[in-house]
Amino acid sequence: MRASLFITCYNDTLYPETGRAVVRLLERLGVELDFNSKQTCCGQMHANTGFRAEAFSQAKRLVRLYQDTETIVVPSSSCVAMIRDQYPTLIHELGNAELQSQFTALLPRIYELSEFLIDKLGVDDVGAYFPHRVTYHASCHGVRALHLGQRPFRLLGKVRGLRYLELPNIDRCCGFGGTFSVKNAEVSSAMLAVKLQDVVATGAEYCTALDNSCLMHLGGAMHRQYAGMKTIHMAQILASTETSPVEVTA
Amino acid sequence: MSTTSHAREQILGKIHAATQPDGGQQQSYAALPRPCIRHGKLTAEGCLELLIERLREYDAEVVEATPEELPDAIASQLAASGKHIFVAPEGLPTEWLIKGFDWRIDKGLSHTEIEQIEGVVTAAFCAVADSGTIVLHHSATEGRRVLTLLPDWHLCVLRASQVVETLPEYFDRCEKPATLATYISGPSATADIEMTRIKGVHGPRFLHVILVRDQG
Amino acid sequence: MSPAAEEHAILDPALAKPFPQAVLPVLRNPQLRKNVAHAIDVIQGKRAKLVAEKADWQELRTAAAAIRSHALDNLGFYLEQFEARCTVAGGHVHWAADAAEARQIILDLLRQEGASEVIKIKTMTSAEIQLNPFLEASGVRTYETDLAEIILQLGDQEPSHIVVPALHINRAQVREIFARKMGLENLSDDPKELTNAARTYLRRKFLDVPTAISGANFLIAESGGVAVVESEGNGRMCLTLPKTMITLAGIEKVLPRFQDLEVMLQLLARSATGERMNPYTSLWTGVAPGDGPQNFHVVLLDNGRSSILARPTHRQTLKCIRCAACMNTCPVYRQTGGHAYGSVYPGPIGAILTPQLAEMHHAQSLPFASSLCGACYEVCPVKINIPEVLLELRSEVVNQERKQVGRIFDPMYLGLRMANVLFSKAWIFHTAQWFGRIGLRFFTGKDGWIHWLPSVGGKWTQTRDLRGLPSQTFHGWWASRPKEGK
Repeated sequence: MRASLFITCYNDTLYPETGRAVVRLLERLGVELDFNSKQTCCGQMHANTGFRAEAFSQAKRLVRLYQDTETIVVPSSSCVAMIRDQYPTLIHELGNAELQSQFTALLPRIYELSEFLIDKLGVDDVGAYFPHRVTYHASCHGVRALHLGQRPFRLLGKVRGLRYLELPNIDRCCGFGGTFSVKNAEVSSAMLAVKLQDVVATGAEYCTALDNSCLMHLGGAMHRQYAGMKTIHMAQILASTETSPVEVTA
Repeated sequence: MSTTSHAREQILGKIHAATQPDGGQQQSYAALPRPCIRHGKLTAEGCLELLIERLREYDAEVVEATPEELPDAIASQLAASGKHIFVAPEGLPTEWLIKGFDWRIDKGLSHTEIEQIEGVVTAAFCAVADSGTIVLHHSATEGRRVLTLLPDWHLCVLRASQVVETLPEYFDRCEKPATLATYISGPSATADIEMTRIKGVHGPRFLHVILVRDQG
Repeated sequence: MSPAAEEHAILDPALAKPFPQAVLPVLRNPQLRKNVAHAIDVIQGKRAKLVAEKADWQELRTAAAAIRSHALDNLGFYLEQFEARCTVAGGHVHWAADAAEARQIILDLLRQEGASEVIKIKTMTSAEIQLNPFLEASGVRTYETDLAEIILQLGDQEPSHIVVPALHINRAQVREIFARKMGLENLSDDPKELTNAARTYLRRKFLDVPTAISGANFLIAESGGVAVVESEGNGRMCLTLPKTMITLAGIEKVLPRFQDLEVMLQLLARSATGERMNPYTSLWTGVAPGDGPQNFHVVLLDNGRSSILARPTHRQTLKCIRCAACMNTCPVYRQTGGHAYGSVYPGPIGAILTPQLAEMHHAQSLPFASSLCGACYEVCPVKINIPEVLLELRSEVVNQERKQVGRIFDPMYLGLRMANVLFSKAWIFHTAQWFGRIGLRFFTGKDGWIHWLPSVGGKWTQTRDLRGLPSQTFHGWWASRPKEGK
């Protein structure tokens, strides 16, 4: 199987280890990957902050860039949600018939990482080994926009050595919300404080998710507060094996 | 009132401009999806059991009686209430007016008179088991709204054939839109202080139901 | 702490502070946050249990959303039908284009009755038009009769929730208010005793005051009927005992048919209070001879609603049946309570309704008062896609603001405009990453993390760290991989 990686702008810049893990994981599963280095951003930040004119240009750019690609894997649930939930309106408003048909054809070929593994590849046991206590934060977009459902739990459930610890209020927002975290920094921080209490109370060593944006938020607070926990993208857990454990960063 | 007629034109004008009326409301209404459950799955007996369970969750007292036992059942409820003065809607069957109590028949009693009365006995239009709701349409046996409001104690006589399982089944029993109705689902209550449920704010604090087994 | 000692909340969007500033005193008030979180958690727990037992919950939502959309799409037809049928049944229908007109109509009706006092059922619509202060200033005493509203009225406080308006006040605070205002010094803080005090306080009022004001949960077009749902029985008292009843209702409250209640009533109480059905639902049609008020008026209020109707994405805002499930589930509301929204309609629905009712002249900060987590849409019984409307409104606010001179050097605007340029070409993006890495090195500590940033970045670092940029981007790594025969 061939697939193309849309790594997303912030993973490219801030969390390249997530991208490397996705590559390692998928190549191990026999996927032939390619990566178009012209990619930048899906426009989520602009669209969510009300900068619709700017979001138009990112959307247009992304659709054109991937129009000939067979399958696209995205290790970020919020970016997939942006494409699925907001692009239809944006593209419709642009009123460009050619773009519209390119987008309509593209949409079903875009997969979030756990969707790609379970739905496209049909695997939940990816042969991973990660001997740690782990809790999972079901990010808002993963739960309510993509309806990932049991997929993340099926994947984690098959990781050898991993002890899963359930997170109370698992689907409650961590307070990130993109520019919300700086426009309403105080409320965002209050939400984060409540979330972090739940996360820390699990007694896990790692909090994982399918979205580095929530993890950046949670991880930033863990580091500030010496919480004794780390965040890790699920791709890195799934890429980790007994002979080749996950690269530990920072 | 000139404001209001001017406002009427202005508002309706804006609405019509906004919505492009097509005059096809009745067809488009008929086409609306209503995929929710209309009819319950319980047996008649199961439905009565559910109603009783729900009413008891609301702290209503429920007793069962055959049609023959009804007057005795009413009598023992009245006696156990410790109250003496009762009001009855004008159409209440005379055999329900148990001797030995002070009955006031409502032929236009004043609010002050009703306020002095300790309890009320009525029939009902229907009851919905799913939510434990007693439906009053305020007919001659159910009484004016004020009768089931001011007295602190309410005895409601319900026939088993009046019990439906789901709310839509109640609506199916209405031949035309109800013009006056009260749906009672447990006694008056509030949770306004720290979400602590407190019974008996303004409505009757005591609800008793006699369920009459009028079906095989 | 006495609630009276706290800053008085301002629920007028024209006067309220922007949300990010209005939340600050709330976030620093542990008692208030505890009260709000407790109330919310109780309601949410009850709701979740009851929704889970309802096998056709999603189907009910589908049906309700369709009914409400249809009613709005044909609003003129149904309002005129309601008016005609209500009038035939002996009611009087009045139309008010804005708050001032509605207040004046109500005052004129009260003056016709010679009323110096009026009893009221909880109605957020009357709070929207600021009816009570107007009537008081015009010499009419208003008596709220819902327990929460009594607490607020006697405590000189503002509502912070649309279903449980006093949820920010705890029992000790209620005791203090009642003891002071009812002259009951020996009152305990037992909710039962406090509730009894309210019962006694109001009993005579119900019997003596001949004029009442209510809101409406639903107007039934086919019959001209009005439905009010409640819990305490104060509503039934007000709807039954007075001689004159004035009902204030937003024009969006109309349902096509009586039978539509079979859907709405299954959703409303479960969503609002976590009950299978609220204790009392009252339905009446015009005037019933010998039963209840013999003089009945309905005031239909527009106050910005018809403008919302005109815009396709925004129209769904008017589907709202005021159950408050969105605020109960909202992680923002859970932290802030209602007052910070500066409107009688707080929470997610308030964040979209308030600025629209103000025709985008006020409350522009509210569409941003959300992390877009989507929980509100998930619980909404009439399927209002609140995040979708929030995004629409955000874009409108940005379009207003980006023309303002003051925004030219606003770091948020500068940053987002710049980002747009960066994302337009990969080489610009990659160059910017390189410069960013160099620039941020200056702020990166020995531990590899950033603890302080200037400007907008400081909003992040005031409570969180940020990992320093890694030395290699993903695309850099990809390019450096050995090409396996490709």
